Amino acid sequence: MKISKHQLGIVFFILIGVVPFFGALLYAVLYSFGIVGILNEGFTFLFWKSVFHSGDFVKSLGYSMSIALVSVILSVGGALWLAINFTRNFQSRFFSFIIYLPLAIPGIVTAFFTFQLLSKGGLFSRIFHRLGWIESASGFPDLVNDTYAIGIVLAFITLVLPFFLLLFLSVYKNENIEQLSSLAKSLGANSTQVIRRIIVPILLKKTWIVIVLYFIFLLGSYEVPLILGQEHPQMLSVLIIREIKQYDLTKISEGYAIAVMYTIMVSLAALILFLPKKKISHET
Amino acid sequence: MKPKSKHIFLVFLTILIFFPFIFLVLLSMAPEWRFPNILPQYFGPDNWQTILRSETGLLHSFLISLLISLSVGIVSTLFGFLISRSLYYHPQRKWLNLFTYFPYILAPVVFGACLSFFFLKMGIFGNITGVIIAQFLIAFPYALIFFSSFWNKKIKSYEDLVATLGGNQWQKYSRVLFPLAKSMLLICFFQTFLISWFEYGLTSIIGVGKVQTLTIKVFLFIKEANYYYGAISSCLLIFPPVLLLYINKKYVFKNRV
Repeated sequence: MKISKHQLGIVFFILIGVVPFFGALLYAVLYSFGIVGILNEGFTFLFWKSVFHSGDFVKSLGYSMSIALVSVILSVGGALWLAINFTRNFQSRFFSFIIYLPLAIPGIVTAFFTFQLLSKGGLFSRIFHRLGWIESASGFPDLVNDTYAIGIVLAFITLVLPFFLLLFLSVYKNENIEQLSSLAKSLGANSTQVIRRIIVPILLKKTWIVIVLYFIFLLGSYEVPLILGQEHPQMLSVLIIREIKQYDLTKISEGYAIAVMYTIMVSLAALILFLPKKKISHET
Repeated sequence: MKPKSKHIFLVFLTILIFFPFIFLVLLSMAPEWRFPNILPQYFGPDNWQTILRSETGLLHSFLISLLISLSVGIVSTLFGFLISRSLYYHPQRKWLNLFTYFPYILAPVVFGACLSFFFLKMGIFGNITGVIIAQFLIAFPYALIFFSSFWNKKIKSYEDLVATLGGNQWQKYSRVLFPLAKSMLLICFFQTFLISWFEYGLTSIIGVGKVQTLTIKVFLFIKEANYYYGAISSCLLIFPPVLLLYINKKYVFKNRV
């Protein structure tokens, strides 16, 4: 039987794009139920019970969601403000290049940079000391590895806000928002009405899927909370890797149980966001 | 906002954008820059000279990162382009596209941790091949999603036209599809290169510390509290993407207009 090129492409897609994901999920499920893995003796709910009893997963999920939500809200808000007030300025040759520069900084460098600025011996602490606001480094407030995750949120905003700004600027241009705003003004709308009734709704409606995607990405972020986070509670990815990679081999299954819950959660989110919907397509 | 306040804010924004780059370069060139000094007492290339001569292997890490990212970028872009075509022509393409989002949306480090068993069994755990394959598994769905917008009825009609005029498969790709997708291929290559270049979590899990890319080096130096070398590694990590952004902006977008 001859396989056509299309079928070969689909086979490749399944092998590279689908099998690894479901293989990884299956392995994690089997490990979490004690069916595979070092020291595991057979099917058990013990590890799942232990995860729920310890409450680590729920705490970590709540902590991660709060951080991701605050970061996304602040980033979207900041990017909207910049896009609305400075659209024309960002079209200049100089700004149209430099607004891309923050995209060249990876998460691990952002975390390192934030640490260098906000730690007790960091640059801001030194400025505070020079201004006479603190007497020693210990007098500087905890802004990294802190309870309220201020360092993590600031690092996330640094990473995500530039992307949202570029996204909003692109939608602003493609959706002819400037012309729509002029039309509304000529019909008697004031600036606040134009922003609240036209610009913000269009920008958010066109980008909400990307905003939700970024919330999910931040939820699973690893290197930033690893460097700037505290010992307890930890963000989801850090907690999962801590459990899976620790020396106590009996705890590995619990790590996989958390990984399974996290994977199911984001997969459901993907299903809700990208499930094919019945609608009339306008293909070109 | 008043024009003067706008101008002042734009100056502040410019400083804010350049500040991380300037700060990291300063930190990399300062042998001693500690509390309470606001500025380092000495600037010079000493740290750079020392680290490049020493056995920290930073240059080696740079080359490994480059090799991995180039491989991931090229393979993901080509496979993404070719396989996205197969997906587009499949009657169930919407459902197949849905599957591409699962590995894309999952945290790479968690994906890596769950995959590590299979990598170990295949003997590609803790080596460059393993890291390239692992990164390919997260860059490939991105490329598929990226190219899904390229295929449409217009492209299909071009393909039909080539076939009607007697063109073969090679001619169809080399004379029509690749030239049409040139800008998208370049952008996809840059993006997948960057996904790989910036990747830390997955690399640390699959590379188990044996494959020391630049991101791994940055983390190791931070852990050792060697911030000056950490800054040098960060500089090596951020300046190639800046160059790519410049090329992207100057040539790719210019050609698209």
